[in-house]
Amino acid sequence: MVVLYSKMALAFRGTLRTLAKRLQVRTYAEAAKGDEMALTFAAGNKVFYDKVVVKQVDVPSFSGSFGILPKHVPTLAVLRPGIVTVIENDGKQNKIFVSSGTVTVNDDSSVQVLAEEAHPLENLDRGAAQEALSKAQSEFSSAGNEKAKAEAAVAVEVAEEIVKAASA
Amino acid sequence: MSAWRQAGLTYINYSNIAARVLRRSLKADLRNEALKRDESHVRITPWANGRPAPRLNKQTNSSAL
Repeated sequence: MVVLYSKMALAFRGTLRTLAKRLQVRTYAEAAKGDEMALTFAAGNKVFYDKVVVKQVDVPSFSGSFGILPKHVPTLAVLRPGIVTVIENDGKQNKIFVSSGTVTVNDDSSVQVLAEEAHPLENLDRGAAQEALSKAQSEFSSAGNEKAKAEAAVAVEVAEEIVKAASA
Repeated sequence: MSAWRQAGLTYINYSNIAARVLRRSLKADLRNEALKRDESHVRITPWANGRPAPRLNKQTNSSAL
């Protein structure tokens, strides 16, 4: 009896599969297959990736930090200073600090990360970042007008982020 | 709305400041090369009657802060 049931189940599953194929229905497993995400990641100082197929990209943006996988909904966002993590196809993680810029996710799953300045974490100097932070802080307290104060506040915010990244 | 936006700064201003701070936070050997990008040079040649005017004006825009 049990054997009969499992045989029926198998036959049923087979029928379903042929039916799905005929109807061009995409099942979950199929949808995940064959999707590639080509990443272009460039800054004013360097091109890091040029249409390289990667697994995942995590970006810090003003609309929150988010991860991008293939088939992500098309998106535009402005970058905030922080670490962009690229997970390459072999699983290797590449962490790059970006100052600012834009990220674009297109309908064909291609991704463009364009930064004004970007450097791998190992190129950051914690001491220099701390120096930049205290300079920005003193500029903030001595700022004469609203605009200078806002500029210094941005510098403080960025320097704090760099110190955090360089300490990790 | 963020404070810098309220103070009249644009994202381009924000980006410039962020990039400048990042360049200053690099390891010493990379920093010197990077700091060259802080400056931008603009060369202006006024034209009059289809000829460049004799006075050549070279401006250096070194960003403050």
